[in-house]
Amino acid sequence: MPKKIILQISMIAAAALVCHSAVAQTQGKTGSGAEVKTAASGALRSAADALGMLRWSDIGAGASHLPAIDVVTTMEIFASGTVYNAGQPSTAEYHASLAYIPQAMRVEITRKGAADAHTIQTVRENYAWNESEIGGGLIPGKGTATPAMPAVKARLLQLWILPYGVVKAAIAAGDKTKISMENGATVLTFPLSGNLAGVTVTATLDSKNLVSKVETRPDNSALTNLATETEYSDYADHGEVLTDIKSPGHIVEKQGGKPLLDLQVKMVNANDPYLVFPVPPNVKSATTQAPVNSSGRK
Amino acid sequence: MRFYRQTLIAAAALLCLLPAAARAQEFSALKRNVNAPPKPSGATPRTPDGHPDLTGVWNGLGDNLLGVPNQMANDGISVDSETSSHDIATGTQIATFPRNTTHGLNNEQAERAASLLRRVGSNRPVYKPQYWDMVKEFDQNANEEDPSNNCMPAGIPRAGIPSYIAQYPSYFIFIYPGQGGLIATQTMYRMIPADGRKHTPLEDLDGTYTGEAIAHWEGDTLVVDTWGFNSSTWFDQIGGYFHSENMHVTERFHRDGNTLTWTATVEDPDVLLEPWTTTPRVALLNPKPDAMLPESLPCSERDLTHTVTKEHH
Repeated sequence: MPKKIILQISMIAAAALVCHSAVAQTQGKTGSGAEVKTAASGALRSAADALGMLRWSDIGAGASHLPAIDVVTTMEIFASGTVYNAGQPSTAEYHASLAYIPQAMRVEITRKGAADAHTIQTVRENYAWNESEIGGGLIPGKGTATPAMPAVKARLLQLWILPYGVVKAAIAAGDKTKISMENGATVLTFPLSGNLAGVTVTATLDSKNLVSKVETRPDNSALTNLATETEYSDYADHGEVLTDIKSPGHIVEKQGGKPLLDLQVKMVNANDPYLVFPVPPNVKSATTQAPVNSSGRK
Repeated sequence: MRFYRQTLIAAAALLCLLPAAARAQEFSALKRNVNAPPKPSGATPRTPDGHPDLTGVWNGLGDNLLGVPNQMANDGISVDSETSSHDIATGTQIATFPRNTTHGLNNEQAERAASLLRRVGSNRPVYKPQYWDMVKEFDQNANEEDPSNNCMPAGIPRAGIPSYIAQYPSYFIFIYPGQGGLIATQTMYRMIPADGRKHTPLEDLDGTYTGEAIAHWEGDTLVVDTWGFNSSTWFDQIGGYFHSENMHVTERFHRDGNTLTWTATVEDPDVLLEPWTTTPRVALLNPKPDAMLPESLPCSERDLTHTVTKEHH
């Protein structure tokens, strides 16, 4: 056989070997998924998948085959719409920065034409405070932080009634999460824990398993700021950097039966953006605070 | 004749891919559904002066940064089983489910998922508030902004654990081959004295990518203290974590059997609110007595001008 032909055959064989190896690796990525049973409720899994929360990737993973994990740690929501303050509506810009590890949220609202036009309300775990500017109070001379400890629960609740918070908390509640069908829709009922112990969440999923309605009820009915009703609709990937995480395009929230927010979402940064919530020293050291109302404003 | 030319081109392309394929095969030898580093095995060898001997090729599982499982570990996420994961810094449990599909991900799905998976961990440096938006913008626009995407050296501590360490009584040699991916870029080396000398005053140093490093032993832990950096690098594999020329990095290397654990603490009072320490990373010793480092491919950026989205690593 001519050397040229032998060389060609060798090269083709080598190329085929590499291709075979690549194909085998690709098959390895997908082969075992159907063989394993989900360990948790199908409804919770479906709700998490509908939002795009559970993800895996085999890029550069070799033979490793990791399960799907919840990838929603931090997020930013930019919206505009109507914000109600003591029942009075205002057209406003709304910007929420949030984190689930550790649980924290910063809500910046700019009301058009309102006297109290710009507020920044922040919570992290056991601390709540109001910032005069983003990050105020962390560095001398760079804004102030005013402790607002009585608002901890109401502010944390805003984190856990978002669709992602609902799914996370329902999974975390384990056997305490009950699943029922009401008018053909799946309904999740579960208790919150930690600072929000005593609050029960009822969440309704739509036909695509997306969280469409969330109601919270505190054991203590006097805590009206913890009694909320929120409706979510118009889900899409609203990111500038696309993530395949779906977020609601329209959010309508009532608190204590009264309207609180009616927001059209403009953009959601769901790519776990850099968001931090260090507690200002004066907030950490605060032992007594001036009384604040349910929204944390003096 | 045309077929012959095509075959030669295919063969040339194949040869170009061989080093990477060989490395991928080496790293893929370990099959696992968790990303925790393996437990150390074997004795820790010591040099005649009594210190642990760090000499060797440390390119085993744990810090190659080539794969999503290791990048997640570096980011502080421990996948413990098919149904359990946690955030290492806080201990927070993370919802974990077995995969539920037999369909593979296409490239777009896999890249978007990988970008998220690399960012789940909560161990993030805390910058001064005036820099929060800048970090976020750098990360969001990493395709253009990340120095490594432009073939610049990774710098310290982004380079992580060196793939090769040579230990001598009064100095060390660290080699970091260019690996592509998130640390990418240029091959780097460091010659690090361990002879008791003091740092050059910072104001007398011209900032460099690897800075002025001096090593000493604290018990069985090698401590490498470095300053004198330029400000042209980011200090972690993702996140847009820029730094100033006043960055001071303290790396700690601890050998236990066939594993090497590394952490780095970054102090930069110009931009950080507080010092930040990486999640510990673990590399395995390459057990082959004739282990070598493959030659790195030259870094030549040709993709950026064709990028049409902000999606990125």
